[in-house]
Amino acid sequence: MYQYDQLDQRIVEERVAQFSDQVKRRLSGELSEDEFKPLRLQNGLYLQLHAYMLRVAIPYGTLSSKQLRGLAQIACKYDRGWGHFTTRQNLQFNWIRLEQAPDALADLARVQMHAIQTSGNCIRNTTTDQFAGAAHDEIEDPRVWCEIIRQWSTFHPEFSFLPRKFKIAVTGSPNDRAAVRVHDIGLRMHRNDAGEVGFEVIVGGGLGRTPFIGKTIRDFLPKQDLLSYLEAILRVYNLFGRRDNMFKARIKILVHEIGIEAMREKVEAEFAAIRDSALRLPEETIAQIAAHFAPPPFEALPAGIAPEYAQAFRTDFDFGLWARRNTARHKQPGYAIVTISLKKEGEPPGDASAEQMQAIADIADRYSFGEIRVTHEQNLVLPHVKQADLPAVWRALKAYELATPNVGLASDIIACPGLDYCALANARSIPLAQQIARRFRNWERAHDIGELKIKISGCINACGHHHVGHIGILGVDKAGEEFYQLTLGGSADDSAALGDILGPALNQARTVDAIDTLVETYLQLRRGKERFLDTYRRVGLQPFKEAIYAAA
Amino acid sequence: MAKAPRLDNHPQVITANHLATGDVVYLTRVASWSRDIGEATVAPNVQAGAALLAVAQAQAKMNIVIDPYLIPVDTSVSPPRPIQFRERIRAQGPTTAGRTSDAAREDRHVSV
Repeated sequence: MYQYDQLDQRIVEERVAQFSDQVKRRLSGELSEDEFKPLRLQNGLYLQLHAYMLRVAIPYGTLSSKQLRGLAQIACKYDRGWGHFTTRQNLQFNWIRLEQAPDALADLARVQMHAIQTSGNCIRNTTTDQFAGAAHDEIEDPRVWCEIIRQWSTFHPEFSFLPRKFKIAVTGSPNDRAAVRVHDIGLRMHRNDAGEVGFEVIVGGGLGRTPFIGKTIRDFLPKQDLLSYLEAILRVYNLFGRRDNMFKARIKILVHEIGIEAMREKVEAEFAAIRDSALRLPEETIAQIAAHFAPPPFEALPAGIAPEYAQAFRTDFDFGLWARRNTARHKQPGYAIVTISLKKEGEPPGDASAEQMQAIADIADRYSFGEIRVTHEQNLVLPHVKQADLPAVWRALKAYELATPNVGLASDIIACPGLDYCALANARSIPLAQQIARRFRNWERAHDIGELKIKISGCINACGHHHVGHIGILGVDKAGEEFYQLTLGGSADDSAALGDILGPALNQARTVDAIDTLVETYLQLRRGKERFLDTYRRVGLQPFKEAIYAAA
Repeated sequence: MAKAPRLDNHPQVITANHLATGDVVYLTRVASWSRDIGEATVAPNVQAGAALLAVAQAQAKMNIVIDPYLIPVDTSVSPPRPIQFRERIRAQGPTTAGRTSDAAREDRHVSV
């Protein structure tokens, strides 16, 4: 894992000192709210529906056990004993007091963390594949590039006041788990015909009120040119992106309005001018950063399934259920990747108590080289677990209600905080997610249904990624009542697609029934091993539409 | 789609967020602030609420609260119940179920 050098540590500590002084001046009245608000937002402190919310950056979703313990301590000391993992691979504390926020940030700095650039019109936390460095299908560890982007984009003076916020995602694997086609810039590592590894650069994707799938601006970018090319894109966006209308200010609108060809022309011209500048990455710099992400000291184990794992799989039904859904293939023989579901029935999706965070940190130390990842689907990951240890890991997780066997299933729902917490929301997300999860509580049925990605947003800003849910749910306010509009057929992976609107919005009670009806319709229509998405793509919207609206 | 009802003639209370803590607060009868909407002072309508709002805005200037505003309430129940759904959630805390949500709802109804 990347460790802060003296410069990293110093700039974070200096920022804490600055913010501490700013809070003091605000509380004394020396700064007005209008003066203070942009300063607190630059430090990740929002005022939400009930309280201040602190959004902590988790660079590319990678945490050490020490950092996770640090977060648990902050949850206990300054919040109400828990935290909420988000679709941006970040963590939000929902009940921070302004007067204590500087202390919370100082504690974060002690574990090499901060809340800088988690708000505002700047380059936000770069996100990536939660299986980075572990995935069997990976070409290269994308975190090396995420870290290079982090260093370049942190306090980048030219890009601190962009037309709008800017999000970059990187995948090092052909099976995209980082949703790179729905980000402002998506980077997909691949090999060219000569066998060299570089990036496909995708630009102008995004969700929100005007969703777009990103377009490829360059098929292959050599690695050493990454920062020059990113800088060229950002520069073109900074210059030509719209500042007259906040709703049209994202780069996706620019790309849509001028077209990808014109965008490419401008970017390539800028790139040609700066390609050989100081931004060109020397091999030794890349190697220095890459050294931080060297594989942990794996044991040399035989290929194939470890006997302890196979035995438990055969003899313990509950373990087998969990292992089928919550483990993934590792690149290292004898190892597995474990996804810890934060979607236990009855709990808000993505929430973890301080006790659970501590437990996960302990389990990570014992079984996964002290490493934890955050997924954009609001779960956690132990990236490097020996197969032989899987039964013990499962038991340890189970003791803390962290072994729900539902990864990728109907109850593994992405939900934004919604109207229960968010000042922007029109409708609640979490209670709806909880009701839907309850409807699919029967594991036999849930496993039979198979992969089904339900994603809920409480407003058009789409933090819950509803546009790319196999079933997407968007909360709307109709004359003071919560209604939900359904979309079908969305996908965030390498076959990225935006969902199609099913029909008029439904009230909350009908929405839960409607999800059930959609699933039943799929079960009747599916052929062989088709997933919900496959069946939808084959048969289209009509049969589902009829099932929901025909009776009305 | 039904039109939103006009709410100006409903009784009104003043709400804001407490600057130092961020807590949802209501202007009380003694021109102080409480987390408990039951302690809020109630104006019979928006016109009458304007005078209360002036008091609240003065307190915002004194850096006690942020962004005070009037909300319509139903006074046929006790404590008064906000008419708007969003304000009911602000008054009562998150409506979500679960362990973390129980923690979120603790600490309500304490005067500040």
